[in-house]
Amino acid sequence: MSSYRIHVKICGITRPYDALLAAHYGADAIGLVFYAPSPRAVSIEQTQEIIQVLPPFITTVGLFVNATAEFVQHVLAQLPLDILQFHGEESPEYCQSFSRPYIKALRMKPGTDVNDFAQHHSTARAILLDTFVAGVQGGTGQTFDWKMIPKHCTKPLILAGGLTPENVTEAIRATHPYAVDVSGGVEKTKGIKDAHKISAFMEGVTMTTELHNPPLDLPDSRGHFGRFGGRFVGETLMQPLEELRQAYERYMKDSEFLAELNDDLHHFVGRPSPLYHAVRWSNLLGGAQIYLKREDLNHTGAHKINNTIGQALLAKRMGKTRVIAETGAGQHGVATATVAARMGFECVVYMGSEDIKRQAINVYRMRLLGAEVRAVESGSKTLKDALNEAMRDWVTNVDDTFYIIGTVAGPHPYPAMVRDFQAVIGRETREQIQTLTGRLPDALVACVGGGSNAIGLFHPFLHDESVAMYGVEAAGDGIATGKHAASLCAGKVGVLHGNRTYLLSDDDGQIIETHSISAGLDYPGVGPEHAWLKDSGRAQYVAITDKEALAAFHDLTRIEGIMPALESSHALAYTKKLAPTLGRDKSIVVNLSGRGDKDIHTVANLEGIKI
Amino acid sequence: MNRLTGCFKQLKSQHRSALIPFITAGDPQPHITLPLMHALVAAGADVLEIGMPFSDPMADGPVIQRASERALAAGMTLTRVLAIMTEFRATNTTTPIVLMGYLNPIEIMGYEQFAKTAQAAGVDGVLVVDLPPEESDEFTNILIHHDLAPIFLLAPTSTPGRIEKICQQARGYLYYVSLKGVTGSANLEVDTVAQKVEEIRHHTQLPVGVGFGISNAKTAAQVAKISDAVIVGSALVKYVETVSESQLIGSMAAFLGELRSAMDAKTVD
Repeated sequence: MSSYRIHVKICGITRPYDALLAAHYGADAIGLVFYAPSPRAVSIEQTQEIIQVLPPFITTVGLFVNATAEFVQHVLAQLPLDILQFHGEESPEYCQSFSRPYIKALRMKPGTDVNDFAQHHSTARAILLDTFVAGVQGGTGQTFDWKMIPKHCTKPLILAGGLTPENVTEAIRATHPYAVDVSGGVEKTKGIKDAHKISAFMEGVTMTTELHNPPLDLPDSRGHFGRFGGRFVGETLMQPLEELRQAYERYMKDSEFLAELNDDLHHFVGRPSPLYHAVRWSNLLGGAQIYLKREDLNHTGAHKINNTIGQALLAKRMGKTRVIAETGAGQHGVATATVAARMGFECVVYMGSEDIKRQAINVYRMRLLGAEVRAVESGSKTLKDALNEAMRDWVTNVDDTFYIIGTVAGPHPYPAMVRDFQAVIGRETREQIQTLTGRLPDALVACVGGGSNAIGLFHPFLHDESVAMYGVEAAGDGIATGKHAASLCAGKVGVLHGNRTYLLSDDDGQIIETHSISAGLDYPGVGPEHAWLKDSGRAQYVAITDKEALAAFHDLTRIEGIMPALESSHALAYTKKLAPTLGRDKSIVVNLSGRGDKDIHTVANLEGIKI
Repeated sequence: MNRLTGCFKQLKSQHRSALIPFITAGDPQPHITLPLMHALVAAGADVLEIGMPFSDPMADGPVIQRASERALAAGMTLTRVLAIMTEFRATNTTTPIVLMGYLNPIEIMGYEQFAKTAQAAGVDGVLVVDLPPEESDEFTNILIHHDLAPIFLLAPTSTPGRIEKICQQARGYLYYVSLKGVTGSANLEVDTVAQKVEEIRHHTQLPVGVGFGISNAKTAAQVAKISDAVIVGSALVKYVETVSESQLIGSMAAFLGELRSAMDAKTVD
């Protein structure tokens, strides 16, 4: 993503005080109107007073409308204006005759071609787009149809015309200009500016700056991704979480720790996982080339172990002797029990009693690995309740126990920490796809329950503007039926499990039960960084029904000989829709986050087959 | 003046500790809550802590979790909790009420709307378990603006720095969580608690209450000697599961009465 900040010019300044306000709130330029009929017209004396109080680094712009060359020269002889702005029907020859940089205004009406105009005024530094109102010269205070603005223009574009604190954020998002120009929108009365409005306008601009630059260094020091994330837990856990944050930040910079982590990822997990070109499936779909990131080939059969290895090593460094975890489908529970066995930790896994019934094989795997699986009977008896129960265990045994959360949710530092452990997926993909195709992919697709496999793939690509990102949620029986788990697509902002994010809750704020064919996506919340990526527009979130996911499960099994997990099948089902819309020269990377062996009973049941 | 301030001032002049029972609104049925509140006051409650039920009470032990589940199953909502408080105030204008719960229902209602309604209902304080001071600036300001005391938790794990910061933001009283654990955990250790309460007093003039792990009259009396308020939740709420509905109010009031007498007795065994 580009990291420019939108520039701001506040036009029609008539008093020194207003110029100071503009500077104080961070405007880049002020506009002075040398056009007598305007209510904001200034005299040379007035302007001298204004310029005198203006601090450095604020550009002064003189605005003229079809003035005589003599008048412009007269003004310039007495005032050190930085830039001229011509608002009438001035010719390029006239505009460049003053040996000053200039901006040319274009009054937009149906049929106006901005690019033509920019070519005509090739010597202008920028083109300012204002609204055409018959009979009115200068600023008009009305908006025009922003869709008329071309996506690409040879000149920087300055958006003007009816901007206000209320519409500036939307305007910038819709038009991506170089700068915005405001006058009437920040005034008390004509020619007199309003401090509150200037402040609000600048805030509106700043907001879009954030949105234009989803920074890699989020979360902030308190764990916030914009308005999401944070640390919403009882007081008892606040200090232990702070100690965890300090340990995590320290060891993520510790070369010995990282060496041990990498060694385990290589020899124990089996990384790097391959990036596989699904040639037959790509050809059948007839569009973009599809590459599968084979997290299903990791030890224990899913991406979950990337994170449990990292957290277990951290637990060891922190001197903990016992690890606990929550699990839904059992994949994270198995991955935790696996690393606990290897490192000699006592291990307790909390699992909803409903899930225990649905996932008997994984429960047995965990027990074989030496973990104690505790059934959770509270609430809906599923993943969210298992998470509550693990938190309760942690608060009781916080001295010797490390809580290994399985996804990018929970209180800070968990969303950032789990992401950093899973980002190995994206880092490898970035290298592998460039080796295979010589360039970055056009799109990334991953399923999103809590969102750890998706964030792991997305994160190393956040600043690559050309790479589109699609997070795929579980639509269950369909969003309209209410039986789904699509918190980003259909939820509202709230607080659960220690962070602020999109949630599925009723009108009273009670968390509601979710539904998905895939136990791993059956969660009413989502990691806060996804909430942020959604709001910022950097990633798109879509939903896939049980039925579509099941079809994709069969497709990949039959066409490529790879049996995907039902979670990953959601990502594959969206890829099925996306690939045909892109050309054969484009590429899509899908995170094949887990293998489907664990799901064969579910699939067989659905198809009425007894095995 | 907020009722909490007056209440603790009076108790102090009488050299008594406050007895604060906790019940979940709507448990086991919404119609029980109002008469139960009056009965608890008659049995010696100085302040009432009323739980706003939530589907995912992460900091609560099994007893209060089930209380929340029963209340929600019986159709309890945040709006109805506030309506019951209004009804209570129609006949009792003196006993302070503190609402206790989790953030999400309040966030969905809207901070301003919640504070306005709670103030109008005659609520005096609000304790949101999963809203630590780091995240609570906006909500705290709104509460104070509506003359509602933001009540904060302190825990065995709170460092001196955190205690200082929390004491600065808190109003009404401080709620010291006596042990690492959830509500209704095993009995607390009085000596350890006494030390921490003394430490907290270095940071604040506000009354310091103690809760979590007080399950009988003896512990209540011991804690009363070292703190300004004794908070009893799970031990009281348990009655919902052990006695019939017709006996419920009487049994709970009788239990509270026992605690009251033990706390007010001159000596502790």
